[in-house]
Amino acid sequence: MTETTQMARLGAVRPTAEIVAARLKRRHNAERRFRAVGLGAVLLALGFLGILLFTIVGNGITAFVQTYVRIDVTFDSALLGIEGDTGPDALAAANYQAIIKQSLYRTFPEAKTRAEQRQLGAMVSSGADIDLRKMLTADPSLLGQTRSLWLLADDDIDMAVKGHIPRQQGIAGNRLSDNELRWLSELESRGAVETRFNTLLWSSGDSREPELAGLWGAVVGSIFSLVITLLVSFPLGVATSVYLEEFAPKNRWTDLIEVNINNLAAVPSVVFGLLGLAVFLNILGMPRSAPLVGGLVLALICLPTIIIAARAAMKAVPPSIREAAAGLGASKLQVVTDHVLPLSMPGILTGTILGMAHALGETAPLLMIGMVAFIVDIPATPLDPAAVLPVQVYLWADSPERAFVERTSAAIMVLLLFLALMNLSAILLRKKFERRW
Amino acid sequence: MLRKTMAVAAIAVASLAVAGTAHARDQIRVVGSSTVYPFTTAVAEQFGKTGKFKTPVVESTGTGGGFKLFCGGVGPDHPDISDASRAIKASEIENCAKNGVSEIVEIKIGYDGIVLAAAKRAKHIDVTRQQLFLALAKEVPVNGKLVENPYVTWNQIDPKLPTQKIEVLGPPPTSGTRDAFIELVFEHAAESFPELKELKKTDEKAFKKAYSSIREDGGYIEAGENDNLIVQKLDANPNAFGIFGYSFLEQNEDKIQGSMVDGVAPTFDDIASGKYAVSRPLYIYVKKAHVGQIPGIKEFLAEYSSEKSWGKTGYLADKGLIPLADGERKEWATKATSLVTLTK
Amino acid sequence: MQLLILTVVLLALTGIGFSTGRRRALAVVEGNPRLLHSLPNHHGYLVALWCGIPALLVVVGWLAFEPSLLHALVISALPPELAEMSDERLSLVYNEVRNVALNGQTAGSDAVAEAARHYLSLRQTLFGATAVVALVLAVAGLAWARGHIHRDLRARNRVERVVTVFLVMASTVAIFTTIGIVLSLLFESLRFFHFVPVSEFLFGTAWSPQMAIRSDQVGSSGAFGAVPLFAGTMLIAGIALVVAVPLGLLSAIYMSEYALPRFRSVVKPMLEILAGIPTVVYGFFAALTVAPFIRDLGTSLGLTVASESALAAGLVMGIMIIPFVSSLSDDVISAVPQSLREGAYGLGATKSETIKQVVIPAALPGIVGGVLLAASRAIGETMIVVMAAGLAANLTANPLEAVTTVTTQIVTLLVGDQEFDSPKTLAAFALGLALFTITLALNAVALHIVNKYREKYD
Repeated sequence: MTETTQMARLGAVRPTAEIVAARLKRRHNAERRFRAVGLGAVLLALGFLGILLFTIVGNGITAFVQTYVRIDVTFDSALLGIEGDTGPDALAAANYQAIIKQSLYRTFPEAKTRAEQRQLGAMVSSGADIDLRKMLTADPSLLGQTRSLWLLADDDIDMAVKGHIPRQQGIAGNRLSDNELRWLSELESRGAVETRFNTLLWSSGDSREPELAGLWGAVVGSIFSLVITLLVSFPLGVATSVYLEEFAPKNRWTDLIEVNINNLAAVPSVVFGLLGLAVFLNILGMPRSAPLVGGLVLALICLPTIIIAARAAMKAVPPSIREAAAGLGASKLQVVTDHVLPLSMPGILTGTILGMAHALGETAPLLMIGMVAFIVDIPATPLDPAAVLPVQVYLWADSPERAFVERTSAAIMVLLLFLALMNLSAILLRKKFERRW
Repeated sequence: MLRKTMAVAAIAVASLAVAGTAHARDQIRVVGSSTVYPFTTAVAEQFGKTGKFKTPVVESTGTGGGFKLFCGGVGPDHPDISDASRAIKASEIENCAKNGVSEIVEIKIGYDGIVLAAAKRAKHIDVTRQQLFLALAKEVPVNGKLVENPYVTWNQIDPKLPTQKIEVLGPPPTSGTRDAFIELVFEHAAESFPELKELKKTDEKAFKKAYSSIREDGGYIEAGENDNLIVQKLDANPNAFGIFGYSFLEQNEDKIQGSMVDGVAPTFDDIASGKYAVSRPLYIYVKKAHVGQIPGIKEFLAEYSSEKSWGKTGYLADKGLIPLADGERKEWATKATSLVTLTK
Repeated sequence: MQLLILTVVLLALTGIGFSTGRRRALAVVEGNPRLLHSLPNHHGYLVALWCGIPALLVVVGWLAFEPSLLHALVISALPPELAEMSDERLSLVYNEVRNVALNGQTAGSDAVAEAARHYLSLRQTLFGATAVVALVLAVAGLAWARGHIHRDLRARNRVERVVTVFLVMASTVAIFTTIGIVLSLLFESLRFFHFVPVSEFLFGTAWSPQMAIRSDQVGSSGAFGAVPLFAGTMLIAGIALVVAVPLGLLSAIYMSEYALPRFRSVVKPMLEILAGIPTVVYGFFAALTVAPFIRDLGTSLGLTVASESALAAGLVMGIMIIPFVSSLSDDVISAVPQSLREGAYGLGATKSETIKQVVIPAALPGIVGGVLLAASRAIGETMIVVMAAGLAANLTANPLEAVTTVTTQIVTLLVGDQEFDSPKTLAAFALGLALFTITLALNAVALHIVNKYREKYD
């Protein structure tokens, strides 16, 4: 009786297997969902990276070419203001802008009013006169003659040719007036507009004119800074790690050093900039904006990174090697210099390169020590004022001209290229020499 | 390994030895106004291209900040030239003299309008200087009394103005543009209010304080010395206005547009003719003691005051500088070559 | 150039010292190194050290004192009409003298030209003297050390003592750096607190640091209440964590528990790239792309979004710290013993159930530690906020409004202006001190948690 009622009751609900199957299905669905969410997170993060790189490359790739326009230029000594005197000093100080403007006015005689002539004059870069000066100083017999020359175009013309500025006429507030767009089209129809590889970007220093602005000053500044950083931080870092890992007795003092290094690794870089400002500039009176000071500050920043990497590499050397060497009568220092260091050197170098890569991208502390001035000349020594690549990116990013967006992106591409090379060499080093114990 | 380590150390020592060679300052240092900055950098670049001297290092510190550095003393550690978007004040000349900078050459380089600009797509306003005062001063006269500025939106001042929050990005106290703005707009406007006029008669000092205090409750935002940054921010925020020099407006006409002040729009011709009320002269100041000692100062001044730079069709005019009249240019160019110093 | 030659010569002498020492040591024992206390190489090193170090110290001393010594000597030899000028004028004249002497500038007067010649000859003499002293010391050291080589000389111990001294000195640099940071921040901050009381700085809610710079000018009142800055920093860092923690944690779980080794080996380095990109690039990206995008998006939804909204800066910062969260979480998840997972599987749990109910709870302390480290990174981050966050010190919790942060203000206050007598500039150091303290505390807590957690499973 009781059995039958029980049976009946069980019969009323679904069999256990079915319940389990349904729940299992739910659980497996949850499993799949969770997995998909995880994959989604990875892909989203990669997507951000993709968007970032795509934006930079998309904005910057055109900066590697530069527009030139062909104009017939007459070397008119009256306009140059050097009548009678053709000595080298007079040639150097002559007014080349005037002959460029005159040539433009002659090419487009319809520009009559002051405003129109200003627009016309602005089509050629204000730096185009350097080439003319070079030509005339090299060959003074050009005076009075007319030559058909390729001149550096202004940044706005360059932007229009590259398609960053709309070419349709009649758009209110376009950077180029309808006149300029018409003149540009006319030049193009005569075949007098051309884009060439942008050599100025690689050979010149900073400029207020985007078409003249180059990265070379910043690259040299970066190299100077990094060399100083390497010279200071590598020996100090290796020595510190050797001491802490192999020599130091375990006591309060070494604990303090250890804690200290771990904390230094986490101090925001801008604080190191404050240290540089207060100590290197104010107390020691070192020059502002100099790569020497920048290099020292960066050395302090990447010292903890190098120490931590070097210690990890030394820790990985098995004690058996040390014991074997010691057993053969080697002193502690001999064990280190002849066995531990050579064996851990790939790891130390990898850590150093990564630290250097970090230093190369560092910006904030350098702003504190005055590396943000407008510096045109290429630095010749680490004591000359200079910018570094990331600071150049910061400076250009703040500039209003449309063409600087393109230049900034190009500068970022160069910076990322350097970083990629450094990281790649670190990876290769690790791959080639890594030893598993 | 020890031997290799020693070799590395030797290379390090040798390289540091090269790096450690001391050297003297042989390039001109310029500090000062962010309004004059684009002009001075343009001249500096042209000057550097001649190849005889190093390109001067130009820093934008604001007129006041520039004078502070400039008047710090004579010697290679102090700048040679200071850009200014207003004339030097008596107190600054005194400060200079106190630090041994007694001979200062003043060169007027041109004119510049102060504009109130907003993004192209923003609503445009035509304001009077009185209205600007009411919008931006710390204390304004209401019903015969000076009270903490109560205006939050523009239309509270005048129903004809748009119904949007008062949000003006402007320069900090280090800036000459701010000083000139206060002088040209606030001082002028303050005198047209009877309450303040009364105050001027009774207490000159209190009057000065009343007209030269700018509100700090968020209506006026100090945007630092970087005028480019203000332009970018205006472009991004159509409700905001910015205060800066005309040259920045000219450089960015595709993004921003100047508002009319007292019914006149800031254009090249109207500023040059003086029709646009808020315009002021720009200057550079040179330490005479440094001329001849730091190489190239004379030549730099010659470049600055040449017709191809500050003339009517010179490259500075292309950058938005409003040139001096012909006679005036000649006069200041002579002062620049003969280094006429300021007399008290 | 001369200096370089001298250095190279000294280094060469040191090298010679090494080889003579080595040879001498071998000669002493007639070519049987087993009779020596130390290896021949050690004798070589000892001689090299005796030869190189004193000479190098002389050169370094010359480098340190040459400028001031030359200055004094040249000035004292100037004709009276020049020497009577004020110190500042003199420094200018001296600069010209050096420019004439070193950079080929044309002298303004005969006196200067004379002084320049004097400068050059003095420099030459001084350098010559230094070179002679250094070389004599080097040779003498070499000879002396070489003479003292005998079979029982404990050369190795001596060399090692010198090297150990160098090692100890190097390891104190880190300490000195910390001391330098703390002292410079404290010193300038104390000067700042002389102007502005600590309580006002820590608890004031108004930030308006631009003060008048002339007595006849009226600037802003100079309010130094840092609460809006702290709040702005927290807001942006908070947004960054909201972005980075879920993304980082989920990626870490996927990578360590689900991904195939090949997928992992390709994708993990790609994620790490995010941490290697310089922050200035993120700042540019935030200001150029993300901020306008968010503003337009907000406008199309009918919201008012500030152009430099906290959201834009926080979002980009979040992307930057994803790899921090993911790699730290990855480490701690991998450190959870396999036995825990197997126990859960044995009870019939699915993989996701195991992860959610066993692995994550077990790894939680480590994950929290990682998140704290990421937070400290976000708080100290500078370039993104300098380029993409605002300058207006608004006290708000609305992520669509502009806020300013501690690091932004440090940069704004210090760039351009180098006057160290106004509270405006000194305020940057007080902010730096606050930043230093906060990040240090966060790190200490985080490291403590992580270490404690590691011990649990070791």
